[in-house]
Amino acid sequence: MTSNIAGDVTDIDPISLEIQWQRLVAIADEIDTAVIRTSFSTIVGESHDFGCAIMDASGAGLTQAQWSPPQFCTMLPRTTRDMLKKFPAAALEEGDVLATNDPWIGSTHLPDYNLVSPVFHKGKLVAFLGTVAHVSDVGGHLGDLEASDMFMEGTRLMPNKFYARGQVVPIVEEFIAANCRVPEMVLGDLHAIVGTHRIGIKRIQEFLDDYRLDDIESLSHAIQGRSERALREAIAALPDGVSEYEITADGYLEPFTLRIRLEIRGSDLYMDFAGSSPQQWHSAINAAFNISYSTAVYPIKCMLAAHIPNNDGLVRPLHITAPEGSIVNCTFPAPVKARAKVIKHIPPLIFGALADLLPDEVIAAAGGIFPFHIVGQDARYGRFAVHMLPHGGLGATQDADGLLPAAYPHNSTVTPTEIIEKQCPIVMTRKAMLTDSGGAGKRRGGPGQEIALRHIGREPIMLTIRPDLMKYPAPGLHGGDAGALGDVFFEGVRLERFVPIQWQPGEEVVLRVPGGGGYGDPLERERADVQADVTSGLVSLEAARDIYGLDVRFDPEELQLEAIRACVENRFAD
Amino acid sequence: MPAQLNLSSAELAFSLSSTSRRGRYRLGFDIGGTFTDFVLIETDSGQITSYKTLTTPQDPSKAVIAGLQELLRNAQAAGDDIETAIHGTTLITNALIERKGAKTALITTKGFRDILEMAKEMRYDIYDLLMVLPEPLVPRLLRYEVAERVDGRGRVVEPLAVADLVALKPHLEESDIDAVAVCFLHSFTNPEHEQQAVAWLKNELPGVSVSVSSEVAPEIREYERMSTTVCNAYVQPLTERYLTRLQRDLVDSGFRKQLYLMLSSGGITTVETAAQFPVRLIESGPAAGVLAAVFYGEKTGVSNLVSFDMGGTTAKMCVIKDGRPIMSDDFEVARVHRFKRGSGLPVRVPTIELIEIGAGGGSIARVDELGLLKIGPESASADPGPACYGQGGVQPTVTDADLLLGYLNPEYFLGGRMSLGRAAAERAVQSKLAEPLGMSLIEAAYGIYQVVNQNMISATRVHVAERGADPRKFTLIAFGGAGPVHAHQIARELKMQGYICPAGAGVASALGFLTAPVAFEFARTHIAHLTQEKLEDLDVIYAELEREGRARLAEAGVPEEQMSFVRKADLRHIGQGHEIVVELPFDQLADVALDDVLRPLFYSEYEQIYGYAHRHLGVEITTCRLTASGLRPQINLEKAETATESLSAAQAIKGERPVYFRELGGFVDTPVYDRYQLRAGMNFAGPAIVEERDSTAVIGPDADVHVDIYTNLLVTLKYE
Repeated sequence: MTSNIAGDVTDIDPISLEIQWQRLVAIADEIDTAVIRTSFSTIVGESHDFGCAIMDASGAGLTQAQWSPPQFCTMLPRTTRDMLKKFPAAALEEGDVLATNDPWIGSTHLPDYNLVSPVFHKGKLVAFLGTVAHVSDVGGHLGDLEASDMFMEGTRLMPNKFYARGQVVPIVEEFIAANCRVPEMVLGDLHAIVGTHRIGIKRIQEFLDDYRLDDIESLSHAIQGRSERALREAIAALPDGVSEYEITADGYLEPFTLRIRLEIRGSDLYMDFAGSSPQQWHSAINAAFNISYSTAVYPIKCMLAAHIPNNDGLVRPLHITAPEGSIVNCTFPAPVKARAKVIKHIPPLIFGALADLLPDEVIAAAGGIFPFHIVGQDARYGRFAVHMLPHGGLGATQDADGLLPAAYPHNSTVTPTEIIEKQCPIVMTRKAMLTDSGGAGKRRGGPGQEIALRHIGREPIMLTIRPDLMKYPAPGLHGGDAGALGDVFFEGVRLERFVPIQWQPGEEVVLRVPGGGGYGDPLERERADVQADVTSGLVSLEAARDIYGLDVRFDPEELQLEAIRACVENRFAD
Repeated sequence: MPAQLNLSSAELAFSLSSTSRRGRYRLGFDIGGTFTDFVLIETDSGQITSYKTLTTPQDPSKAVIAGLQELLRNAQAAGDDIETAIHGTTLITNALIERKGAKTALITTKGFRDILEMAKEMRYDIYDLLMVLPEPLVPRLLRYEVAERVDGRGRVVEPLAVADLVALKPHLEESDIDAVAVCFLHSFTNPEHEQQAVAWLKNELPGVSVSVSSEVAPEIREYERMSTTVCNAYVQPLTERYLTRLQRDLVDSGFRKQLYLMLSSGGITTVETAAQFPVRLIESGPAAGVLAAVFYGEKTGVSNLVSFDMGGTTAKMCVIKDGRPIMSDDFEVARVHRFKRGSGLPVRVPTIELIEIGAGGGSIARVDELGLLKIGPESASADPGPACYGQGGVQPTVTDADLLLGYLNPEYFLGGRMSLGRAAAERAVQSKLAEPLGMSLIEAAYGIYQVVNQNMISATRVHVAERGADPRKFTLIAFGGAGPVHAHQIARELKMQGYICPAGAGVASALGFLTAPVAFEFARTHIAHLTQEKLEDLDVIYAELEREGRARLAEAGVPEEQMSFVRKADLRHIGQGHEIVVELPFDQLADVALDDVLRPLFYSEYEQIYGYAHRHLGVEITTCRLTASGLRPQINLEKAETATESLSAAQAIKGERPVYFRELGGFVDTPVYDRYQLRAGMNFAGPAIVEERDSTAVIGPDADVHVDIYTNLLVTLKYE
């Protein structure tokens, strides 16, 4: 190891450190699993829209559950430290649980509730457990995109004790319950999370007992020091220099532009968003800084420190700034509910800025996600609030085609069709990959998908959809084409505005979630790969000819049959 | 090869029966990737004969027949002296991993053929941008759709379009398909359309085998059900061919009784059922290992166990509570990354729940980019093997560390069939670990031992906790070559009561085959809020499941009076997303008071796992489950000679060597016991080494060892 790199390595030996660190990761994982198993909402239980992290007594991030979305776990320590300003360590007692959904303190939109529990050991505060989860409802209008300030979007709980000394604080519980549409579900999730914290606290105490530790200070120091040092070494190995990149995206009522200036200087990496569009007061796509910051950390970690469990040591070499009042650092009380529309463009922005320097580490832009939300009441189904997060295709990389529809850069699962249809009166009539939706390239972008839904109930229900990439597609890299645009049709009419829809029985909605960007010149794509795409139906004959330059003097029907024979023979060699 | 292998089957049968001494036997045999293992027990005396031979992958029954012949000769028994034969195999798993199954097509609801490929739309590694997904078993071209639809309540929204099936026929014929999987949405609630499609297929394409989701895995969640059904279809033709062949060959060898197949659930089933649902056999080998642990637990009077099997590449753990292994139906096969959850194909069938950790004797130790000592999951496996094998391996492994610490005897590895090279182990550990980490050779070796143990400890701790159990009430039972070497520290750090090292650990796990009852697991998704009135509905479902179970048991030859049925239910709070499995020890649920008995039963089980139940909320059922089983066969073990008063354990000491125990400050001269000289009733204390051919037990300090009547080592740990 080079000695001119900052980052402390303390005297804790590498074997004890490995063992104790892994133990903390295992504790975070156990909490994560327990959250899924005890949750009430589909958005937590099925979509995995939550994160768990362990922090030290100062609120510095030590580890996260391996499956938790990366942004949540970079934000949680920041949120915790902000909450500690109001409730300093001395004001906390065993069994307390702090809660907030404030967008500027927490994870930047109201549905995300942050719960943080202090962990005491032998009377001393030694750590914090934090969980952030997207709850099913926080009141406010049912819309997603159109709002003129945050107050329209629901109710805000400033940092407060949700539990005090192990007992729920009635006024806080009542406040939450009284201001949302599905109180049992929301409180069910929040109380379940408190239950998982109890498990986690016990585990941390057992851990300290096992190693006869009074606290985790030196462990925390070692974890962060080693991680920082490893990341600094990776940065220092890159040449110093400056790179800039920009992406223009749909926004909602008007497009916006994100700009980044990325500078590598020694073992530090600077990312500045100056020149990005200003915040908007007519649509709820603004991102408060916490989420922009944590989303900017993600691509760097993927490229330079993929195998190091997330902790705050990994953010120390990164210097991220954004002008106040910009769309990536909006000010109170800008509307923020659909900030995903902006922040999903941050990873491709950063990968774009590093595409020349690290061509084999970057990934083209992804098709993203079209969340939809169904709320209503029906004699046979009762009251329901169902979320579904269908994803678009991923971007291509230097060595591989983009993956099929999948969560990115967050991590979530799509709610099964059968679960949705058990809960509310709809029938999904199609959920299929879309032909020609992955951006063409030497490596093709991942295909997007089409989802069609029909209302089979007897009462109108409220449908909220938040599409993206309907005007500006997911860009490719190094000569790869952009993915196909997204679309939403309601009874055959293409929608432009996304206020909540009164969905009448019998009506049909079609979502086309976009594909990912391609990588490299499509003309350089292996001919066999193009032909395989044609026969499997992911690329049309026309696109194969016009974009990939494939010689298509063949009968498509015959080709299809031949392909079936070939695919059977190749795949099932006896 | 021995000349006898060239005998024709008829001659073979003759030669076997002519040498018989007419005992009664049970036979277990397991086809693994490398070895085919046999164990034969004489029912009355408990005398065990075992045999091991190389698997013959091209024609697996060849090794079976040859090995069986050898085994019978050794036991001086004949084929028709065997009353029951129980078989386990990895062939099905291997076919899935190596993609050597049938030409399979999928027929599904119009609009949903891509579900098989889009899966859950989740990435199993958030930070790996180059993540590779498992390829679906059926490519897009062979995934067909037909118009039909059932809604979430089980009502037909659109009838099955038989015309669509008719239109498929030329395609299926043209592509020479062997197997078809049928999976329609909501078929677990209303299987009508699937049944129609199956009837049509059987009629129109009689040579094609058909797997249908409402029979293979009638549970909610379309992707998982589809995946399970496709896996089943994919391996069905080869399983059927294989079992037919095997049965014929066994008959030719003189065995004419019932052949049973081991299931992943730990039950056994008939050849017919196995051929219909091969996907239920996937984990048969490991399941047998767990049953062996249960069996040894019974023999030693311990019912709360963690079975621990550590081999060359992996360690497997299973929690056994009250004598019953924990079950799960959440299993993945053919993972792209063996130890990454979500990287495989989901298979939803009842399975004994094992956790698998990349920690074996061959696991490689290295220094990572943070300067920390990491172990596995990469393994030096058997080739080149650990550095000390002297076969060209240069990476330090767990076995190398075990050797340097004095746990293994370089001259008595595999009973002396192989000698271990200390110098090579030293070189590997010194250059790859000790130097970069700036520590001594022995510190680095002990580091390997500790880290690999902690990987297992950590995974076990979480696993036990997630099942609502407390490791302090459990005993570890160690199998595999490396299990008894590492058991001590694992048991101690988990604060377990102690550990058991069964006699002849090599054969021990095969004994599980002989102790499995005929058993079937049934599940039916039924989602309803529990009310007193609706409990009757459940009785109707359980009665149906019981009828099915009774029929299946009868087919398998279980007499009525030996049948038993256990009802279980997946329950949750109303509105919750996941369930816990609760046993319902009631004959008629309608007679049970919901609020006074049933709900509290759920809440208390829930609290035991998660520490908090929402007692004000109602309870919802999602799945009815039933286990139908016959009697568990009782097998006797041969009892060992009991030590006379005058015989102390010291007489079994064959030497002494320095062994490293951190608790004692380093190397201490430690007695080495010869396992074969130990007699029932002997007692001694740790630190001690007990050597046997296939393994070495390392007993640390503060432990008392008792040799039981079967020469198992029962180790009790002492805590301050």
